[in-house]
Amino acid sequence: MVDLVQNTIDGLMIGSSYGLLALGFTLIFGVMRRLNLSYGPSVMVGAYLGTLVYVQLAAGPLVVLVVTVLGSVLAGLYVERLCFAPMAAGAGVASMVSSFAIWMQLEQAAVLVLPRHTYPFPPLATADPLAFGPFYLRVDGLIMLACALALSAGVQLLLYRSRVGLALRATINNPVAAHLAGIDVRTAVVFAFALASAVGGIAGYLVLATDQQVTPMFGMWATFKGLIAMMIGGLGSIPGAILGGLVLGVVEANSQWYFGPQVRDLLAYVLLFACLVLRPGGLLGEAPSRQQDTGRRGA
Amino acid sequence: MPEVPVLELKDVSKHFGGVRAVDGVDLAVARGEILALIGPNGSGKSTIVNLICGLFPLTAGRIVLDGADISDMPMHARVSGGVARTFQNIRLFGQLTVWQNLWVAQNSGEQRRQGFGRRWFGGSRSARGEVERTLEFFDLAHKSNELAANLAFGEQRRLEFARALSAKPALLLLDEPAAGMNAEEIDQLDNRIRKVRDDGVTILLIEHHMELVMSIADRIAVLNFGRKIAEGTPASVQANPVVREAYLGTPEQV
Repeated sequence: MVDLVQNTIDGLMIGSSYGLLALGFTLIFGVMRRLNLSYGPSVMVGAYLGTLVYVQLAAGPLVVLVVTVLGSVLAGLYVERLCFAPMAAGAGVASMVSSFAIWMQLEQAAVLVLPRHTYPFPPLATADPLAFGPFYLRVDGLIMLACALALSAGVQLLLYRSRVGLALRATINNPVAAHLAGIDVRTAVVFAFALASAVGGIAGYLVLATDQQVTPMFGMWATFKGLIAMMIGGLGSIPGAILGGLVLGVVEANSQWYFGPQVRDLLAYVLLFACLVLRPGGLLGEAPSRQQDTGRRGA
Repeated sequence: MPEVPVLELKDVSKHFGGVRAVDGVDLAVARGEILALIGPNGSGKSTIVNLICGLFPLTAGRIVLDGADISDMPMHARVSGGVARTFQNIRLFGQLTVWQNLWVAQNSGEQRRQGFGRRWFGGSRSARGEVERTLEFFDLAHKSNELAANLAFGEQRRLEFARALSAKPALLLLDEPAAGMNAEEIDQLDNRIRKVRDDGVTILLIEHHMELVMSIADRIAVLNFGRKIAEGTPASVQANPVVREAYLGTPEQV
């Protein structure tokens, strides 16, 4: 029982970073109805720039954070420019496939600049875990959880309480009508990408600072975790993204403890599979067919 | 010296492949008038509206708004520059509320006058008041918090008209606003269009409903096969034999 609770606590903490990655995915998917496979790799590029200033210039954690986030945003906008802007009018599959090509490009570029397999990343907090009876809470894990909740609340507020958010949601709902209402749709899309990449950059920083190392595989890892968490939680739903991340984290932590690391990944995909069969729209998302239907009525 | 027209089309053409949808049309809309654009189906009326609002680029010619060439401006910039429109097939934000549909457009009208912070996050009280007044004017105030997708057809029509007005246009393009409306609704529409014109908005109206056109248009321009074949007062257009032959002569169009 103690193990179960401790695993669940650890799972919630790592799961909150999955939730942040899913949040970034869902921002782009919600606005563009497009899948950006290069999302994780663009965060990885930011993290590589972060580790570069850490290793080369001995920069402090705050500088590394800023560089990681800015690098992620720049890489994200690069992906948008190359894969999504030219195909804004249609051909969603072309955007997705080209984002896969850019993924390979970013990964190879990172390996060229920093050829070693792993590089150190500055730790987030080196304090001892806090003890509560038989349970331990890692300080960096707590920071991660707090950041995830605060960021998702902030994004939710921005989308649902500000005029920018309203313009973004209007664009999601009906791009032609958005033009007619005087919304600069192009700027709205770029803004969504920048916001998603910034959230991803923060998530990447938190995860890597906990691991204290970064590898070129981090891009793939971030894309998978974010994608799975988004699909479990519900496409296009912000609370769903966070919830999906937490559920994935808890399932992973417990299955790792009880069954080992191989079964952990297996169970994560079983969870995704079960979700897709039982609730295709995700835990908090609408079922896909209904979403299409209301979209047409609103047109 | 005559006043500068709100809108001027100079030798405007739009060809789709070999089809000359619009072919060398000159048209001037004077400030404060209601100009109706009529013509048989496929005569190029909707294409002209699409060209004016920037839905697709011109093949040839220029479009001038208030003396400024807007031919190469993107659509959203034309909206905040003073051209708003409604669609024959309604284009609303179905998943947003009635109030939000107007607020979004109101913002683009305000963008011209406001700094970054206001534009992105705030919103003045007077702007909110304007949304309330627009809702009252279109008899939608009681539906303020409904999703646009859940409105009845007539209400959606009114909401689209209201949203176009919320962008504070100098020129309003109405694309068949009476389509699918009953006599009473057309009557209300007639009154609203006049009221909007009296508030200083110039109107370019595309309409098949001849009674409405003859009732409110100050002038009428007639298109056939992408060319302008007549222009003048309702009476003179009605009496024009070329128009009768091309358009009014075919009974199903009247």
